[in-house]
Amino acid sequence: MAVSDPARRPIELADATRESRAMPRWLSLLSRRKITLAGAVIMVAISVVAVLAPFIAGDPARMDVAVRLSRPSATHWFGTDDVGRDVLSRVVYGARLSLVVGIWVVVLSFILGVGSGVVAGHFRALDNVVMRVMDGLMAFPAIILAIALMASLGPSTMNVIVAIGIVYAPRVARVVRGSVLVIRETSYVEAARALGASDIWLIGRHILPNCLSPVIVQGSFVFAAAVLTEAALSFLGVGVPPYVPSWGNILSEGRLYLQQAPWLVLYPGAAIMLTIFGLNLFGDGVRDLLDPKIRGLSSDRQRAG
Amino acid sequence: MRTYVVRRLLALIPVALVVATVGFVLIHLAPGDPASIIAGPDASADDVQKLRSQLGLDEPLVMQLVHWYGRLLRGDLGRSIFLRKPVTEAIADRIEPTLLLTLMATLIAVAIGVPSGVLSARYHNSVTDQAFMVLALVGISIPNFLLGLLFVLCFGVWLGWFPVAGYSPLEYGWLKTLRSLVMPAMALGLVQSALVARIARSSMLDVLREQFIVAGRAKGLGERLVVYKHAFRNALIPTVTIIGISFAILLSGAVVVETIFNIPGLGRLIISAVLRRDYPVIQGVVLCIAGVSMLINLAVDLSYLVIDPRVKYR
Repeated sequence: MAVSDPARRPIELADATRESRAMPRWLSLLSRRKITLAGAVIMVAISVVAVLAPFIAGDPARMDVAVRLSRPSATHWFGTDDVGRDVLSRVVYGARLSLVVGIWVVVLSFILGVGSGVVAGHFRALDNVVMRVMDGLMAFPAIILAIALMASLGPSTMNVIVAIGIVYAPRVARVVRGSVLVIRETSYVEAARALGASDIWLIGRHILPNCLSPVIVQGSFVFAAAVLTEAALSFLGVGVPPYVPSWGNILSEGRLYLQQAPWLVLYPGAAIMLTIFGLNLFGDGVRDLLDPKIRGLSSDRQRAG
Repeated sequence: MRTYVVRRLLALIPVALVVATVGFVLIHLAPGDPASIIAGPDASADDVQKLRSQLGLDEPLVMQLVHWYGRLLRGDLGRSIFLRKPVTEAIADRIEPTLLLTLMATLIAVAIGVPSGVLSARYHNSVTDQAFMVLALVGISIPNFLLGLLFVLCFGVWLGWFPVAGYSPLEYGWLKTLRSLVMPAMALGLVQSALVARIARSSMLDVLREQFIVAGRAKGLGERLVVYKHAFRNALIPTVTIIGISFAILLSGAVVVETIFNIPGLGRLIISAVLRRDYPVIQGVVLCIAGVSMLINLAVDLSYLVIDPRVKYR
């Protein structure tokens, strides 16, 4: 989704450079963009909740059938589910699971994707083979391939990460290959090559560091997609096992009690929306920050009126 | 022009080969021997052995792969273990609701997304633009299955305007079918329209910065003519691409949303197959959906010939 989205306020570059002595440039740029900052705040808040889950919430597995499907109240802020588990605790622990899945999917898809993208971009002989495999994997719609992989791997949190990681690796590989193709033609790479640099040196020293920024942008989108896909898989009953508190699992139970207990859908639903919304705000902002072309354009536009 | 078409068709071959191989790998990825999985946990060792030779699993892996390609070319996807009929038949029984749902959702996504994207671009940075874009950002943050659940809650349970779940096949009258698909199609289409709107808007903005737009304005063309005739036609190319991609996304989204509304489509088929470990059905549905998305991509590529005259000379 590398598309410019000029709705947000252009940055004043002059001011940003003036303040760069006081704080790092990225931080000053970030603080100037309210929308990006809002995204960052949402993400930090959710991460804090996820990390501090044991201190905030009660035991998400404790059942109390006497109070099953009770409305939100002072003791159970988000109500209880069909076996009397506290929905607030489950939503809070669900945040933990979502973040764990998101982080590990990003790590895994980056290892696979950056690896094959660099190989395809740098070693021309392998380009066709590697990229055709990636095209083939991308011919499957993401959720469908994830469902099929889960069918083979069996339900577990680890397998959800592996399945979603495999699904998103080709998408990362494409972006990486694209920037490697540009970087390998630059004069500094040519110069290093003329000096007799080895492939490993070229990749590690010149190519990888320079193709990082488009990849980092991709990272926040992969993260959002991973959270969404995990929720969808669990909702369908083919994701993490049902006893694990996950937003998708809560929704899946909630679907059966929609009439009696809408809070089972509303609270985890709000959590998913808030997380994805935060990631999208943040991702859009980071993309614009790291892409000097778009940054330049927005200040041009401002000057034009 | 013909070379373009031929090149596109040839490019499909390696992709199709990889897709077929992935379909093959899927069943071999499962822990344990496919034959014992298919036979179930309480089958005797003898039965498993018989099934193994019946399925050709005692042959070398390479030969199995070759046979697999051969069967796919003949359109043979194997037999369902649970439903006891050919997978192709099982898919044919279930494809109608999924395709109708996807089509309806795509229409909704385009009908809402393209006009709002174009309007946002025309009145760039105005209140309309910002309102549309905030809406779009909220839109892409709602997963379709969540929106579906909220619709059921709101329009089905609380207001009672639409049936909460279920599907009425075409043979009982298309009006009933349409009614049963309104909520799921809206759930899918509205979310996708947000993405379409964002792409349409940014490609319009890109085109509006081009020299020929400046030239058009300079020679005194009205703003309406500049925007809707000259700019829009050029902005169509990325927009059509995203509509094609949308169809594929919505097809897989339909698979998810079907669960909420109890629609007996491909989605229910594959999910129940996963729960029953009915691998031939899983393979079949996955390959079928991948095949449809490949054809859609081809159609999108070929549609450039109509939209963008520059493609003909390549």
